[in-house]
Amino acid sequence: MLFNSIDFAIFLPIVFILYWFVTNKSLKAQNVLLLAASYFFYACWDWRFLFLLMFSTLLDYFTGLKMQDATNKSNKKFWFWLSVIVNLGFLGVFKYYNFFAESFAEAIAHVGLKINPWTLNVILPVGISFYTFHGLSYVIDIYKGKIKAERNFVDYAVFVSFFPLLVAGPIERATHLLPQIKKERTFDYTKAVDGLRQILWGLFKKIVIADCCAEYANQIFNNSADYSGSTLVLGAVFFTFQIYGDFSGYSDIALGTARLFGIELLRNFAFPYFSRDIAEFWRRWHISLSSWFRDYLYIPLGGSKGGTWMKVRNTFIIFIVSGFWHGANWTFIVWGALNALYFLPLLLTNSNRNNLEIVRVGGKPFIFNELPKILLTFSLTVFAWIFFRAENISHALSYISGIFSKSVFSLPSIRPYYLILLIALFMLVEWLGRKQQYALAEFGLRWKRPFRYAMYYAIIVAIFWFAGKEQQFIYFQF
Amino acid sequence: MKKFILKIILFSLPVWAMIFSIEISLRNIPNDYSYKKKYLDKHAAEIETLIFGSSHSFRGINPAFFSGKAFNASHVSQSLNYDYEIFKKYQDKFEKLKTIVLLISYSSLYGKLETGVESWRVKNYVIYYGINTPKSITDYSEFLSNKLNINKKRLVAYYKLHESNITCTTLGWGGMGRKSGNEKDLIETGKTAAKRHTKNIHSEKYQTIFNNNVSILHSIIKWSQARNIKILFFTPPAFHTYREHINIEQLNTTIETINTIVSNNNNCMYINFFDDPNFIAKDFYDADHLSETGAEKLSKLINYKIDEWK
Repeated sequence: MLFNSIDFAIFLPIVFILYWFVTNKSLKAQNVLLLAASYFFYACWDWRFLFLLMFSTLLDYFTGLKMQDATNKSNKKFWFWLSVIVNLGFLGVFKYYNFFAESFAEAIAHVGLKINPWTLNVILPVGISFYTFHGLSYVIDIYKGKIKAERNFVDYAVFVSFFPLLVAGPIERATHLLPQIKKERTFDYTKAVDGLRQILWGLFKKIVIADCCAEYANQIFNNSADYSGSTLVLGAVFFTFQIYGDFSGYSDIALGTARLFGIELLRNFAFPYFSRDIAEFWRRWHISLSSWFRDYLYIPLGGSKGGTWMKVRNTFIIFIVSGFWHGANWTFIVWGALNALYFLPLLLTNSNRNNLEIVRVGGKPFIFNELPKILLTFSLTVFAWIFFRAENISHALSYISGIFSKSVFSLPSIRPYYLILLIALFMLVEWLGRKQQYALAEFGLRWKRPFRYAMYYAIIVAIFWFAGKEQQFIYFQF
Repeated sequence: MKKFILKIILFSLPVWAMIFSIEISLRNIPNDYSYKKKYLDKHAAEIETLIFGSSHSFRGINPAFFSGKAFNASHVSQSLNYDYEIFKKYQDKFEKLKTIVLLISYSSLYGKLETGVESWRVKNYVIYYGINTPKSITDYSEFLSNKLNINKKRLVAYYKLHESNITCTTLGWGGMGRKSGNEKDLIETGKTAAKRHTKNIHSEKYQTIFNNNVSILHSIIKWSQARNIKILFFTPPAFHTYREHINIEQLNTTIETINTIVSNNNNCMYINFFDDPNFIAKDFYDADHLSETGAEKLSKLINYKIDEWK
């Protein structure tokens, strides 16, 4: 079931009504309802993988309890590593086994040996990378003594499987979400309205921006050899907005949906394309994943406490692992490494924490100081996305070599003016609303009702205008 | 909470009003599907030759050139499961039916409307034919099956410009006024159409579709045998630019399957026009569809074979 489907438009009000009208007197009943709804939501995609999700949930639940009750350190260590190995094992088998088998065969072929690797013909369970990371953060936090193990299975299962975040995040932390699940929730009118507004904005981002950009980005990337350099640049820019609209749109719908049920999820995007350097970009893009890697990989590796070499090593490790998390393809690894390279000058000059606040409003300093930085960061990001989108490394390289040709100065052969105008309008709204959690909140909070409603209706018409058969979200494959 | 629900209802009223008025207006536009349904409701008992298939037969076979009373019940991207659904719906009404002409193109045995890019057409069978095989809730609705800008164009074309949405003749043929394509178009469409029609035939998905389609063929054959009705399978002509870009294994599997079926069932016949040299460039609208002249040629050839077979 996709957020942008009619099925979800029916599912959500039903669960909402049951939640606030039928089970509202008992927190336990509300959580059971959320769990049942979440499992139904997941089973709609493929019921067989529901067992994998249940197994993963049970494993982390029991290992969490065992760690909590362990009488000695080695016992605690055993349960911890059991959980980590099994969780990563599943992820490895479903997501990375074929990649390693084929890469090994290719490497062996270079020394003259030919082997036919045994590969698995399995589909990737949707959301496996997300719920595995939920579970891992939980067991790591228990192991480190940051939290206590959850004894109520339903509460823990809701933490792992809560349907708004189940298939594509945000990657939650037990410290943030579990207390909310355990606490009695009361209906808050303002929050519910805000949730609906965020859902509307998320749908706009997905259906109007991402899906329209996808049409051209796919056409250009899939036939890149046929297009001029300028068209290839346009294709990369379209993909840049596609992936932003797609993933941040998904996150907006997830956050808005959770808010309808009185639950606040972690913010995942904070206007990343207005970043003034790549470090700021990574504080604003897929925040829940970046912070996960920071807390559970970067800091345990030593973070930035050691010497220069250690900082550089750790930075490359987290960016490459983060790239690899996205998929079993060398393109993601190069994308991660490229971002690490972008990050390096900032790290070496200790200027990676220069831009912590959102970019300020207009004026001369903005035009001469911040705007060029935003444009440079955006260009670097566009370039890196080419690797992310390409089928393989040679496709990415041929795409890039196509850009760096004389034809880059010609007029693009594909010129969807309506889409360029739409993107410009979208970015204007994002710019005006950049101080809020999401752009539309700015208008929802400040505009008078007639203007506000006119804007909502315009967005709804735009959604129907461009909505065809629902399109998959990119991050579902991760 | 009550305030919230009330406000949502009030806010969404104009949206619901828009959706319902557009839905009703769209359903009131006569189209090929509603026309064909009406024709079959009224004339099923008189039909002697019934033509099924996708755009290759919708554009390529004109019943006007048939000696008996023929009707073309095919349509764009109509896969074998929908041929069968239409057939089942009227099977008891076909009193004079003597021959079924069934398209077996390069992609027929690996095609299923629901899984392709034309899956939005499923709603036409659900809404207009009353065939109840929807996969999604959107298949029950005109409004939800297309983008609003496409629906707007349809509404303007019919209600404002008074243009008909029916593209077929009274006998169900949909190739009127289709002139032969230029050389460039034939080259380009050859590549793109072949790519679109070529499937990963060894995958589980296409193996399942293949098996289902073969079983549909057996069901139609079984029914026809009991009523002494003949089935003529045909593979339509394709321009060389299309033939050069196909997967030969997919084509061979298709042909071998049909040949096996024909050799085991004496009421079946198969004609393969795929690389028939009689069809030249001017007979093609694009690399895999016939022009008006090409359709006339093919229709006459098939009619001749049917008459000869009798």
